[in-house]
Amino acid sequence: MKLRKKKGNPEIPTSSMADIAFLLIVFFMVTSVFSVTRGLEFQLPRPDTSSEQTAEEAVHIFIERSGATCAFTVDGILTSLGDINVYLQPKLARNPNKFVIIDPAPNAPYRCMVDVFDELRISNVKNISIPTTVEKAAWGDVM
Amino acid sequence: MHLKVAKRAESYIPTASMADIAFLLIVFFMVTTTITVDRTAVDLPTSLQRVEVPKDAAVIAIDETGQVFFSNGEEDSRAISTQDLLPSAAFIMSKNSLKTFLIKADGNVEYRFIDQVMEQLRQASVRNIAMLTQQEAG
Repeated sequence: MKLRKKKGNPEIPTSSMADIAFLLIVFFMVTSVFSVTRGLEFQLPRPDTSSEQTAEEAVHIFIERSGATCAFTVDGILTSLGDINVYLQPKLARNPNKFVIIDPAPNAPYRCMVDVFDELRISNVKNISIPTTVEKAAWGDVM
Repeated sequence: MHLKVAKRAESYIPTASMADIAFLLIVFFMVTTTITVDRTAVDLPTSLQRVEVPKDAAVIAIDETGQVFFSNGEEDSRAISTQDLLPSAAFIMSKNSLKTFLIKADGNVEYRFIDQVMEQLRQASVRNIAMLTQQEAG
């Protein structure tokens, strides 16, 4: 007796390929973290050109920690964050290149400095200066 | 007369190209995603104004304890002391004087840590700085 085996068409099973690929997509989507790529840009002054702007002419914003929030002192007057713009607008109308110095206290939270910087950017202040402690020491008592 | 019943074509959904489509998607996402050099978990401060920062910028991350992490934009970030920031930044500036330095600091960190970093960057003659922020609501 002769037994004949039926020969099936040989083929590579590819039906699960899509499942595998989509599984990979989902895996990468879940594991990938979105990095923040937006923020506030800021330029440090050129080291060679000493800025001749005197600190007396500039608006001076002092930031202090007060409890969970911050206290903002603009030219010696205690001001709320929203009122900084109100104070600056007439000065900027007269002189668009008005210098503004942000001077955060060492223990002030960083976010308060960013808040003030953001406010100044909204008011279109062109010359924002954030002197470091070493620079302030070099400036002497004008601050 | 005996008529043969017409053979019915088997109905099926063609799925052979599904894998191609899926792999195409994978390749697309792989090409378009940028690899994050810094994975320090920080609670960024918020701001209303935000601009897109350059992709190849060096990253200085400061976590809420004040620990500084540094990456030149290509390698993964590593913990660094504030004093060591100056030579690293100066080396980058010697190769590309227009390099942007991203400051990715926790919003609750005390300003003196930022001050120290800024001082090092100033001494390294860095020009372009960007402070990463989150979008402020309202």
